[in-house]
Amino acid sequence: MLRFFILFVVILVTLFAAELTQPVQSAVVLPWTEALARISAGLITLFDSNVVAFGKILQSTTNGFAVSIEAGCNGIEAAVVLIAAMLAFPAPWKHRVIGILVGLSAVQVLNIVRVISLFYLGQWNMKVFEWAHLYLWQALIMLDVLIVWLVWIRMLPPSSPADSPPPPSADAGVQHATAP
Amino acid sequence: MMAATPTLGKFVLRTLLWLPPCLAAWYFSAHYHAAVAGALAHLLVDWFNPGIVSALEQPGIDLVFVTTLEVHPEPGRTGLLVPEVNPLLYTYGLAFFVALMLAAGAKWWKILVGAVALLPFQSWGIAFDLLVQVGVKLGPDVAAQAGLFGWQREAIALGYQIGNLIFPSLIPVVLWAGFSRLFIENLLRSQARNTPAHP
Repeated sequence: MLRFFILFVVILVTLFAAELTQPVQSAVVLPWTEALARISAGLITLFDSNVVAFGKILQSTTNGFAVSIEAGCNGIEAAVVLIAAMLAFPAPWKHRVIGILVGLSAVQVLNIVRVISLFYLGQWNMKVFEWAHLYLWQALIMLDVLIVWLVWIRMLPPSSPADSPPPPSADAGVQHATAP
Repeated sequence: MMAATPTLGKFVLRTLLWLPPCLAAWYFSAHYHAAVAGALAHLLVDWFNPGIVSALEQPGIDLVFVTTLEVHPEPGRTGLLVPEVNPLLYTYGLAFFVALMLAAGAKWWKILVGAVALLPFQSWGIAFDLLVQVGVKLGPDVAAQAGLFGWQREAIALGYQIGNLIFPSLIPVVLWAGFSRLFIENLLRSQARNTPAHP
């Protein structure tokens, strides 16, 4: 547990600091954020043609309302947390790579839902938009990361240390006995 | 008697159901917990840069830091800089943490200890929000008055990003995991039991 925690913090801080550097911003963060705006606009046009994307901005052509996808809303910090958690946990590399690829997809799919929902919430009510944007969706995205991580641990092969039986404890026995 | 460990799906559903009431309780009690986090942030700023904050006021939920730094809005006029910080940006993790703990059926004292453990991280966010205003956003003149140069401004920018983008949502999960190791083990085991074995 301690080894996992230390590794997790080291990898997290390293990846996060790297993310903030200019080369990574130019090569990864900005292109991804712009792609996110285009993907969101593409999905919205399936049911609402009154939207355009330019750069990292998503704008309604009906009322001019626009959202700019900034740091914290592009899912990259959540991705960094997930990658750090999967790299720090003892697991075969093959499972780490698959877990990261599938996990990042799951996080980004929910992030697209967040961007699209905020785009419409902002046009409806700015107070609700602020709440959803600043508080609710932040928690939901991190909950998504937690779920993906737990599911990934569950799917690790039995030979992995993750699946080895934990040391017996009295509490565990009680809890098992009462499980349905 | 201990409650049975739910499946992952039930745990997620419980968390989602607990989140709205927890957010409501967090918001309506914001004045009080923001005051505590703000006072700790004041101490943190004093440690990082002694003497720049002379008082902390809280007219509503927002925290107002009265600084000793002078600004000149017009030629010949001088005022003191009083940056405001929205503490909700850094404390919403409290609602998330409580929702996770309630969904896991945690004991009340663990929730209380966790809420206290969140405070330093919330204070970090508030303190660095203030410092980034003084040291980065308001320009080199204000930064120079505060004695913030070079590496200190870089450190403030990094501290602000961590306090803004990472801590508020991640620390509640980390604390929950720390308090719920047995629950997580049982959660994973019960899930595995419910999953048919491959031939």
